[in-house]
Amino acid sequence: MDNVAMLDAHGPEARSVLVVEDDPLLRFMLCDLLRAEGLVVVEAANAEEALGALAAGLDVAVVFTDVQMPGAFDGLELSRRLQASYPDVPVIVTSGHLDAALLAVGIPYLPKPYVPTKAVGLILSVLARRHAHGG
Amino acid sequence: MGAETPTDDARPCILILDGDVLSRHAIAEYLRGCGYRVVEATTSEELLAVLDHGTPLVDTILFDLDAPGAVNGFALRALVREAYPGIDVIATGSTQKAAKEAANLCEEGPELARPYDPQLVIARIRRMQARRDESE
Repeated sequence: MDNVAMLDAHGPEARSVLVVEDDPLLRFMLCDLLRAEGLVVVEAANAEEALGALAAGLDVAVVFTDVQMPGAFDGLELSRRLQASYPDVPVIVTSGHLDAALLAVGIPYLPKPYVPTKAVGLILSVLARRHAHGG
Repeated sequence: MGAETPTDDARPCILILDGDVLSRHAIAEYLRGCGYRVVEATTSEELLAVLDHGTPLVDTILFDLDAPGAVNGFALRALVREAYPGIDVIATGSTQKAAKEAANLCEEGPELARPYDPQLVIARIRRMQARRDESE
């Protein structure tokens, strides 16, 4: 059974991803590929938008976020807040600058620039791992 | 990375500008379910960046007159119509406020009043496309 087929057994929320990226073309490219894999993708342009959507009741199985973004706080702070408020939702961060603090806490990390298919593979594997562990 | 973007996608492409993530997601998913390819923009700067990039080729823009950005409202609609005459534009807005602004600017009002029925969006997109096909 492939990753997406396995996720299907857990209902639509198991296939939902929140992508937080301020570059609209990169966001579109990545989200388009994720949708082609059968995932439900919600797009946010910054950390505040992402947190606002979750606070409004959006239910997602994983968050993929850029670190350097305009707004009141960056993707690193977003990942901290998500871990505090939504500990069951895994976060994957991507950044052009390797952040020691990030690696220290064991958050899955994808260096930028990345090949979008690699991001898709990482997201799918994190989702599969989460559901394999009963998340 | 551009090489990975599917460029041979034959679906009509709609660019949505809406500053509210959940509203944007809802209408975007509805349109995707109707067979459209949808690009989401959260500000007018993002919308213009997508248009400027040229791919994906946008057929229709659906935008909120109150969306955030340096250029918004009717000025954005006028700018897009001027710079991209081949793209259909549908403005949405709260009728009362938009009508007042439109009157002040001698502009026509929004094409759709918010909150709008997604089926009306589809109907309008199809009508505009049919009109465009007839004129070509």
